[in-house]
Amino acid sequence: MRDTLIRATPGRVGARTSRPQLIRAAVVTVLLLFTLFALPQILSLYYIDTMTQVAVYSMVTLALGVLAGRVGLVSLGQVAVLAIGAWVAARLLFATTQPYLLILLEAGLITMAAGVLIGLPALRLRGLYLALITLMFAGAITVVLATVNFPNGGHGFTGYNGSLVHIPPIRRPSIAGSDPAYFRYSVIVATLMFLLVLAHIKTKPGRAWAAIRQSEAAALAAGINTWLYKLWAFALASFITGVAGGVLAGAVHYLYSIGFPTQDSITLLAVTLMGGVYSMWGAVVAALLYQFLPALLNNWGVSADWLIILFGLGVLQVLTTAPAGLADQVPRDLARLGRLLRSRLPRSEKPAPGSTE
Amino acid sequence: MPPWSDFEPFIVSGLALGGVYALSGVGLVVLYRATGVLYLAFGAVGAMGALTAWSLGRVGAPGWVTWLVCIAVAALITLGYGALFGPALAKRDPLIKAVATIGLTLILYGAMDLLWTTSGGEARSLTLPTDNGGFSLGQIQVNWTQVIALAAGVVITVGTGAFLRFAKLGTAMRAMANDREITATLGVPVRKVEAAAWLGCGVLAGIAGLLLADLVALDATTLTFLIISSLAAVLIARLRSIAVTFVAAIVVGLLHDLLTPITALTNYRDMTPFVLAAVALLVMPRSQVLAQSREEA
Repeated sequence: MRDTLIRATPGRVGARTSRPQLIRAAVVTVLLLFTLFALPQILSLYYIDTMTQVAVYSMVTLALGVLAGRVGLVSLGQVAVLAIGAWVAARLLFATTQPYLLILLEAGLITMAAGVLIGLPALRLRGLYLALITLMFAGAITVVLATVNFPNGGHGFTGYNGSLVHIPPIRRPSIAGSDPAYFRYSVIVATLMFLLVLAHIKTKPGRAWAAIRQSEAAALAAGINTWLYKLWAFALASFITGVAGGVLAGAVHYLYSIGFPTQDSITLLAVTLMGGVYSMWGAVVAALLYQFLPALLNNWGVSADWLIILFGLGVLQVLTTAPAGLADQVPRDLARLGRLLRSRLPRSEKPAPGSTE
Repeated sequence: MPPWSDFEPFIVSGLALGGVYALSGVGLVVLYRATGVLYLAFGAVGAMGALTAWSLGRVGAPGWVTWLVCIAVAALITLGYGALFGPALAKRDPLIKAVATIGLTLILYGAMDLLWTTSGGEARSLTLPTDNGGFSLGQIQVNWTQVIALAAGVVITVGTGAFLRFAKLGTAMRAMANDREITATLGVPVRKVEAAAWLGCGVLAGIAGLLLADLVALDATTLTFLIISSLAAVLIARLRSIAVTFVAAIVVGLLHDLLTPITALTNYRDMTPFVLAAVALLVMPRSQVLAQSREEA
């Protein structure tokens, strides 16, 4: 597992060590340029599609990471939120000729409104209740989707016509029709979402969230409107996930309700925790775990069920020994391994015992 | 609105379902009060037990052996998890403890999909001999499995209530629900009491898995996520009262099944737990919410 991750995240190691911020920004830029221009040249179409999914789901895991890592809230229904975003975007794409970017914004905002409605009652209580109500919400949305279906070019509010023979594909932006171009488009949208989160973390909401995470009572005593900032975080997460749903709609062309099962919400939370919720790299690692690894295993003919088991073990490992996840643990273990190698310890002690920190 | 006679059979099936939800809910509440863990893998371990029982039945094991094995599998997995991860996470937030059980859920879910793969179209079912016998109540046919399901819910709720009130172990569990550290200082073997709670919860998960596999379907996904209905009941009871859990579970089960004959709502009946829980959260008085939060903090 660790080997795969190191190979899948080149350059990340240097970015995490405490060098000046300038270097970090440079590394991020280089990585981004590499992803945008070199990656579509290297990869086959199969893996380009996979990486588009990685870009989409990195937004979802980013949203989950903000909730869990910054505010201490857990959502067990994020796939349902993603489905709402995808549904709204698909409906708007069929109904209007608006530019894609505008539709992404609208999908994000409408999803945000839905998310706030769900979070409103649960946020009055402590975190466990929000987790439970979101899990139930995921179950409920699965039921609604199975009945309402995704829009397929039909008319009426639902936009679904069961008797359509030639179902039109969901359109993509005119500048990004091909798969490599759409991959770049997804990466740019995802980057914007990461910047949006960064802007929050570096400013007042981020500080308020940090206070709430430490102690809600202390935050309240410090004059922070905890309810507002918790709701804000939930709204932000819903917005980002809604935008991700919009990108997903264009990526796959056709949406089906069986593509958004309740169990995926749980798996998503698992990979988010494994990736690490205290750093935004964690979201990227989590998305790679969630979309890239299955594609790789599928290529090798290994059952994806092994991954589910691995994710289960990963959650337990993260919660008991490494709360900051792989994004933190792997660089630290590598640094330690490097130190061990440098100090020329006997060969038998080389593997870093980093898993028990 | 369909005529009343259309609803009648669903009263029976709803009560049976509610009974199983009630016994699941009681298991969840007792474990939560004793250990602080909300056991989200409850449905998955039940499913594991039921599928193991199905496999044993296929190779010719007698019925009663498979039922016992179903309960034993669920109980042992639960006890094993509790022994391994209970102490490690004892001092963490209830939210973390609950999320950890999601890890177990995923492990079991993946394993079940590997061992009893759903692709290939093989339909599995687990039938109890009590399905065949029964009696008529007016126009309604009632089979013994349904009677057992409701009775199990009632018996477990009443029995657990009495156990917590009068038995020494029950008193220890209630003490731990209040304060684990002080209870330990008073000489109560907290690890043993916790183990008992885990074992009890696992046994209930096995029974629930067996009954639901018969009443609903023998399918890993369905059984794993039927926990949602019990969770709604537990949430309405605010993770405290087993009496409220029982009533809420019966209402969830009954309402779910009573929506079946109504054409406009039948497809949405699986939303019942979510809607009921959301409404309960909304109407809960603010003062209670704050008191609850203070208590848990």
